[in-house]
Amino acid sequence: MTLASPPESTNTSRALGRDFRGLLGQLVKLEHITGGLIVAPDGLLIAAELPRQLPAEPLSALAATLGRELELRGPQLRRGTFPMAQFLAVDGTAFLASTPVGFIVLLGDASADWDATRGALRTAVGTLHRAWAG
Amino acid sequence: MIFSRIWHTVRGGRRLPASVQIFRQARRFRDEGRLEEAAALVASGLLLDRENVVGHLLAGSLHAMLREMAKARTSFARVLALEPTHPRALLGLARITLEEGDTEACVELLTRALTRYPDFPEAKALLDVAQSLPHHDAAKRPPPSVVVRADRLRLPVECREALLARADATLMFAQPRGLRTEEVAARAAKLCRIASAMLARAGLGPLHHAIIDGAAETTYLRADGEVVLTLAFARDVKAANARGHLERVWANCRAELAHQIA
Repeated sequence: MTLASPPESTNTSRALGRDFRGLLGQLVKLEHITGGLIVAPDGLLIAAELPRQLPAEPLSALAATLGRELELRGPQLRRGTFPMAQFLAVDGTAFLASTPVGFIVLLGDASADWDATRGALRTAVGTLHRAWAG
Repeated sequence: MIFSRIWHTVRGGRRLPASVQIFRQARRFRDEGRLEEAAALVASGLLLDRENVVGHLLAGSLHAMLREMAKARTSFARVLALEPTHPRALLGLARITLEEGDTEACVELLTRALTRYPDFPEAKALLDVAQSLPHHDAAKRPPPSVVVRADRLRLPVECREALLARADATLMFAQPRGLRTEEVAARAAKLCRIASAMLARAGLGPLHHAIIDGAAETTYLRADGEVVLTLAFARDVKAANARGHLERVWANCRAELAHQIA
């Protein structure tokens, strides 16, 4: 199953939604994506697949802080509403998606595509949401 | 019979207290994403052992995961009452104070954590961000010396909201402008600082621009370390068009600011 395709069944989807490493492993296979992590809102690192030179702890602390800041941007955003964002720098890009479990962060090179990555992230968020909502 | 008694005594002697077993199970549930079940277990464990640091820390973590920040704050504060330099509780509380905009308290908590545990990468990363944020709130901030006129920026008709602020969160322009506009400007500036710090840690360089998908609209942000511009569009506006508008308005902003300084 690819993240862009619909889930095979509710049970498969639910199992993948609880298998964070598996879910992240699929996302980092996307074109121009170089790594990623899943972090809880309190900064607890859940899963990481990062280039060797990048330490996960500082990134997870900042990703959780950034994710919460995005959630707090609008008073209408509460648990159950999941914003998504792309942050672009000179040498690459970071995607962040809010989920019930916390935040998915994907790092990519400058060619990483917003629409393609957003589509995959939306599928992943949906998978997590179904798994975590029970 | 004697052997049986000895075995029972040894086994009984090694048995962990019920609260410890409960918290271990709760941690497993939390790691599996069974947050409500984990929270219920922690609550029952704390009834058995009200002063258990692990229990209160787990409660704080679970409340944060459930986005119940007031409860998380109480739990982390309880841990610190029992163990004043607990690193995870200091970090948890620092994170909440940063969220609430109390930068000074955040810096104090993280400094405490790093004084006790100098090798604490999460605390170091957050402290860098907290120290880069302005310490004064909007009410105490000096009025902007530069006033930007809307007609000079040529905002696109599709733009629902526009905001221009300095990196220190001083508001320079907003359309429309309301009671919460200063707060929104402060949040935009803070978002830029945190995003820049994360991008820098990832080795990607400073923040250039951002696209933020909200529930009702998409916000396009442009920043350069001195000023931040945000434009909000309906979600059905194409990203390429919105980015074109963003770059054009950004160029107008920079020209206007340069003209005023000159």
